[in-house]
Amino acid sequence: MEVEAAEAGAVEKERGRLAGLSSGASLSPPVVAGLIVASIAVALIVTQGLQPFGQTTVNGLISASYFALGAVGLTLVYGTLKLVNFAHGDLLTLGAYVAFVANVSLGLPILLAVLCSVAVVAAFGVATERVMWRPMRAKGAGLLQLLIMTLGLAFVIRYSIQLFAGTQPRSLEVDVTSSTSFVGLTIGQTQLIVVLAGFAVLLAVGAALRFTSLGKQMRALSDNFELAEVAGINTDRVVLATWIFAAGLAGLAGVLYTSAIGNMTPNLGFFLLLSLFAAVILGGIGNAYGALAGGVLLGLTQEWSTLLVDARWKLAVGFLVLILVLVVRPQGLFGRQERAL
Amino acid sequence: MTEQAVPGEPDRAPEPAGDVDGEAILAVRDVAKHFGGIHAVDGASFEVRRGSITALIGPNGAGKTTLFNIVTGFQRGDRGEVIYDGASIFRRPPHVIARRRMVRTFQITKALAAMPVIDNMTLAAPDQPGEKLTGLIFRAPAARRREKEVHERAHELLDVFGLREKADDYAGTLSGGQRKLLELARALMVEPRLVLLDEPMAGVNPSLGRKLLDHMHTLRDRDGVTFLFIEHDMDVVMAHSDEVIVMAQGATIASGPPEEVRNDRAVIDAYLGASVA
Amino acid sequence: MTPLAVSLDVFGSLDFWIGVGLLAATYGIFTLGLQLNVGFTGVINFGQAGFMAIGAYTMAILVVEAEISFWLALGASILVAMAAGLIIGLPSLRLRADYFAIVTIAFAEIIRYTAVNARELTGGSQGIGGFDGAFLDLSDLMLEGLDSFGLGDQFLLPLLIVAVAVFGLLTVGMYFLQRSPWGRVLRAIREDEDAARALGKNAFAYKLQSISIAAALGAVAGWFLALNLAFISPTQFDPLFTFLGFAVLILGGLANYFGVILGAIILWTLLEGLRLMDLPLDASQTAALRYVLVGLVLIGLMAFRPQGMLGKRQEMVLGD
Repeated sequence: MEVEAAEAGAVEKERGRLAGLSSGASLSPPVVAGLIVASIAVALIVTQGLQPFGQTTVNGLISASYFALGAVGLTLVYGTLKLVNFAHGDLLTLGAYVAFVANVSLGLPILLAVLCSVAVVAAFGVATERVMWRPMRAKGAGLLQLLIMTLGLAFVIRYSIQLFAGTQPRSLEVDVTSSTSFVGLTIGQTQLIVVLAGFAVLLAVGAALRFTSLGKQMRALSDNFELAEVAGINTDRVVLATWIFAAGLAGLAGVLYTSAIGNMTPNLGFFLLLSLFAAVILGGIGNAYGALAGGVLLGLTQEWSTLLVDARWKLAVGFLVLILVLVVRPQGLFGRQERAL
Repeated sequence: MTEQAVPGEPDRAPEPAGDVDGEAILAVRDVAKHFGGIHAVDGASFEVRRGSITALIGPNGAGKTTLFNIVTGFQRGDRGEVIYDGASIFRRPPHVIARRRMVRTFQITKALAAMPVIDNMTLAAPDQPGEKLTGLIFRAPAARRREKEVHERAHELLDVFGLREKADDYAGTLSGGQRKLLELARALMVEPRLVLLDEPMAGVNPSLGRKLLDHMHTLRDRDGVTFLFIEHDMDVVMAHSDEVIVMAQGATIASGPPEEVRNDRAVIDAYLGASVA
Repeated sequence: MTPLAVSLDVFGSLDFWIGVGLLAATYGIFTLGLQLNVGFTGVINFGQAGFMAIGAYTMAILVVEAEISFWLALGASILVAMAAGLIIGLPSLRLRADYFAIVTIAFAEIIRYTAVNARELTGGSQGIGGFDGAFLDLSDLMLEGLDSFGLGDQFLLPLLIVAVAVFGLLTVGMYFLQRSPWGRVLRAIREDEDAARALGKNAFAYKLQSISIAAALGAVAGWFLALNLAFISPTQFDPLFTFLGFAVLILGGLANYFGVILGAIILWTLLEGLRLMDLPLDASQTAALRYVLVGLVLIGLMAFRPQGMLGKRQEMVLGD
């Protein structure tokens, strides 16, 4: 026993030393990715001109805000519970429709409606944890079982909303017509608010994960569940916090998406889900910062692609990025390679 | 960082110094593999004599299982060479290596629990044309004939290993020891020339363990099958192996007959060294 | 009449059962592919709707645009779908099971997207029709024969007969394929790929074969969907429809081909019954209610009876 511990300690030290060496010697993947993105940006500026590039970048940042907020919850839930949640997109839909009910049906001001939607979706997330996921974990359910349950849940959420709200597009009471121009770049008034609010929340989320003890515990749990449990983290509390966090942000992302686009339909969540997966996998599944960065990268890529191919293909570009990343670097930009066997 | 490991240095044991063709069924030369910063295997070199029962020993973390994985193709070595039966198998995929009649077992038994015992056995048989879609269509009679042979052979082996009555049960219903026996029996369905066993005695009760060892000797004596096995129980190693290879910190540090290795300075250092580190 | 009193008359009509039979056979064939992948190979294919779309669109485009014979187009559509299976499988079958699931659903969405946006070829959201002339000739011939039984006015009956025959043949075919040594290797891979590889089986090649056969089955299902409606458009190939197949699969039971028949009949009787009962709902709401039901079926089965009706508990290999 002692032998093993001593040996493990030595190996650990060795690993630390060598890891330090190797990261100093070669460029880390995020840096490489950054360089690639920068050179693509330069190439686009040179070939397409500064104004179109700037405008697509602005558009890209708009989608980046709701991609990143949606993706961070998806990745944390995967990390902490090893649950690939195909119903996560529909939490965005739920958020949008709750905001619609509060804002339009009940006539509450939009800010209050946003808070309602965050609260309701967070509560819904906690409810699914208590009613479905925790009992299933206790039963030792397998990967396929859980995947199919999340899909079943996706059906139930999406079509329950359709049952009550119908398929016609609905809009929040936000200003979708007026816009602002700045150095030749145009952005809708509401879209500007979406970007600012989105990135403010993103920064807050990043800071909360980094500096609060709950945030640190969430990341630790997401990194290694068993280890975190042994290290004395109250996993039950952190799991609940993760659901509140993930579902709440999904609700917010749904409202931001609807505000930026101008309307909502019951299938918006499924529509966004694959983009969220792309962002999550781009950033390394389970890695919260990776998901934030992945969301921003994906938003930019999709909009930049409209400079080169017809805009109607931009979503397909997102999926191609997803497949490409999985093929070239399945662990994502920020993920670590898994040790085989 | 590995003071006692000198890769490429001729082993202390006299016989396997040169590459005596036909004598060595497996030759591993200066194989290395690292994960991130950890050198799991770092300059392992040894030979396994045809028709021998050879033990691979070493302290925990010495890289024995990783070496097995490299030899059998489950992991890609960073450098080195593995010669099996006169041809290189280094970095070849596992199924290609297995088809050359080298078969392995795993530390944690891989009995296929959701398949009946008999299917576990027949699955392992080589040269079944019915395993290919084209073979199923164009060589149906040959596939049927082969299936009959394979079933007969499987029942013979199940008889030998005392698993006959379990043939139609799901392998998941077997005890841990029976699964080990099944895994060995299944390995023999491959008609192997070399069998690699990763801790065959672990978690097996003593009487089943003895049975396993008896089978090993019988197969070697009767059919000329060569065995290379990882084992921690020194009594088993000393009593049952013709030759012992010792690994420490990723490198092979000694090899030779059991009594010789037991008194080897480097081996004693490696075991004692690990316990005082 | 209170809103809750629903009429059950539909269950007595022949039209209803022909409709159910067609959908059950179509999605049954579709699900045979899922059974092969999920039930017997351990490959989580979430993109079967994409293969179905490829089958239907290739057939329709070849007949309408390239003016190739209908029967040749059927064969060609199978080959195209199998090639798509190989293309999607080659880079991604080495990935972890959950990643593969995500890739396949993304693939299905790309296909639907292409169907919407490549308007010159696919007609966009308008869709394509007029590809079924050759089949209608056959159908008329069959109707003449059926006339002597007094069924000459059931113009979908010939298609039903063909679909059910094909479904039956394919089910039996898949059953025997699974009992072959080839199928045995698949089951080994389903449970433990490394064990299979250690015994000399090229697991990757088998998984590729499994996915391309599933793609072919998806394409065949695509023909029947197209012939049933005499028209195809992207909305019929929503990636979510793959999960109608999963509902059939799990209702009937994993790792049992005859379960697919049972699951398909039960699911479609339920879904069509719901649609045609006089519920006090409009069309979009009825559709929504159907899919809420599908969702609940999936959740309920996974929670309480993951082996479905005919699946064996001992063979439940649901991933780690």
